[in-house]
Amino acid sequence: MGAIQGFEIRRSSAALRGGGTMLRQQPTVAKYIDTSICIGCKACEVACQEWNDLPLVKTEQVGTYQTMPSLAPNFWNLIQFREIDTGPHGFAWLLRKDQCMHCADPGCLAACPAPGAIVQYQNGIVDVDPEKCIGCGLCEPGCPFDVPRYTARDNKMAKCTLCVDRVTVGLEPACIKACPTGCLQFGDKSSLLALGAHRVKQLQDDGFASAAVYDPPGVGGTSVITVLKHGDHPEWYGLPKDPSVPTTVSLWKRVLHPIGFVAMAAAIFGAIGHFMAFGPKKPVDTAKDAGKEV
Amino acid sequence: MSELGIPGASQRRGPTVMDVARDREDVVVGDEIVRHKLSSRIIHWTVALFFVGALLTGMPIWSPVFGWMAYLFGGLSVCRWLHAWLGVAFSAATVVMFFFWLSDMRFDENDKKFSFIDYLKFSAAEDPNVGKYNAGQKLFFWSILFAMLLVLLTGIPLWWPKSFSWRLRQVCIVLHDVGFIYWFVAIVGHIYLGTAAEPGTFRSMTRGTVTRAWARLHHPKWFRDVTGGRG
Repeated sequence: MGAIQGFEIRRSSAALRGGGTMLRQQPTVAKYIDTSICIGCKACEVACQEWNDLPLVKTEQVGTYQTMPSLAPNFWNLIQFREIDTGPHGFAWLLRKDQCMHCADPGCLAACPAPGAIVQYQNGIVDVDPEKCIGCGLCEPGCPFDVPRYTARDNKMAKCTLCVDRVTVGLEPACIKACPTGCLQFGDKSSLLALGAHRVKQLQDDGFASAAVYDPPGVGGTSVITVLKHGDHPEWYGLPKDPSVPTTVSLWKRVLHPIGFVAMAAAIFGAIGHFMAFGPKKPVDTAKDAGKEV
Repeated sequence: MSELGIPGASQRRGPTVMDVARDREDVVVGDEIVRHKLSSRIIHWTVALFFVGALLTGMPIWSPVFGWMAYLFGGLSVCRWLHAWLGVAFSAATVVMFFFWLSDMRFDENDKKFSFIDYLKFSAAEDPNVGKYNAGQKLFFWSILFAMLLVLLTGIPLWWPKSFSWRLRQVCIVLHDVGFIYWFVAIVGHIYLGTAAEPGTFRSMTRGTVTRAWARLHHPKWFRDVTGGRG
């Protein structure tokens, strides 16, 4: 799917100038996931496949209540299951919906060298344009959540679009529509954060003292916010504790690029300056062809 | 004029410079000295062609500032594919070039005295012991070779992203860029010194020959060696 008409582009990969007009007011949207009431029914997985016209993939028995070992280029929404030893008082069965987190500061977009292949709309949705994707695979090192997957043909990146085609026309994403327990919600991020805070309070009252909303500040927050009963241990859910755009991506884009440009310019202007200061080094023959310059 | 009346016939003694330069070098022919035989020149320009190709297909991927270069090849998707193959071709050609010139590129005792800063001052005082290549040229040769190995090895995981872990590829991107930046700077210096800065040099890579005066100025020991000291 290409960039969506009617949506302002906030940021675009490998862009020198440009982007949207910033005229439209499009508040940041979010997907809200309450892991505490997910029953692992996989309705969201099926809805995702169906809406996005993805082929029904053959499931893989991994020995748990999980459909597939991990996300795939044609499988953008996975309910992950983990059995965790929570300490002396027992264990927990943790279900978490895994998909693109739609970071406010997307590492994939920062790492992408193809202009416009990864865009972030004004409403926070991070989308891929396969027509512009060159299949280099550089977005993967940029992602702290291990989301990008590559197609068999031309290595194009594929991931959850937050159903941007539905959102444009005022519908909620397909996974949200299919969820039977209300554990998935969609709307303005600010109101869903308020809902999350309310739910966290309930969980704390129920004895889950460390319950929290996962909205990691290291990537500027995400447009997929997750309520965790064990908020002090996001890694129990397969979420990184303090994700950020990897240092190598910053090193490469913010340090190596300026150094490279300066070095390239210095080489060219250095050569010109040297020529002016020291001139050409001409041989003048003194013996055979005396005085003749070459 | 010869007795036969053919213009220039009297000067025709044996093969011409171009005949000699086809398969021999370090020989004096008339006023010229053959510096690079034909095969050396061909391998040099083969390396140069693939290098420029890889540069022009790689730079638009490196930064959108150079995005216009991608259009020379049919777009960024073509560059992503072509860049890898040009890189392999460049590396292969560089290996061939390496064996062509290896024997001339070994450092000797005299090279230790070489100062790049002093060299760039273009002063008249030239070290009389500089042979066919000075220490700067030898250093350029070796550094280009090591940069080639670095950029080739880091390029392989970037070529096949699905076959290598992203942690490895993260490191490869940074090192690939370091190699590229070094190359760019080095090649600007190489082209400058081989053309505008030192007139009479470029023809050694086209016609294959240099003048006696050029050889005496830039490579005095080589000049003595090839002329047998008769200069």
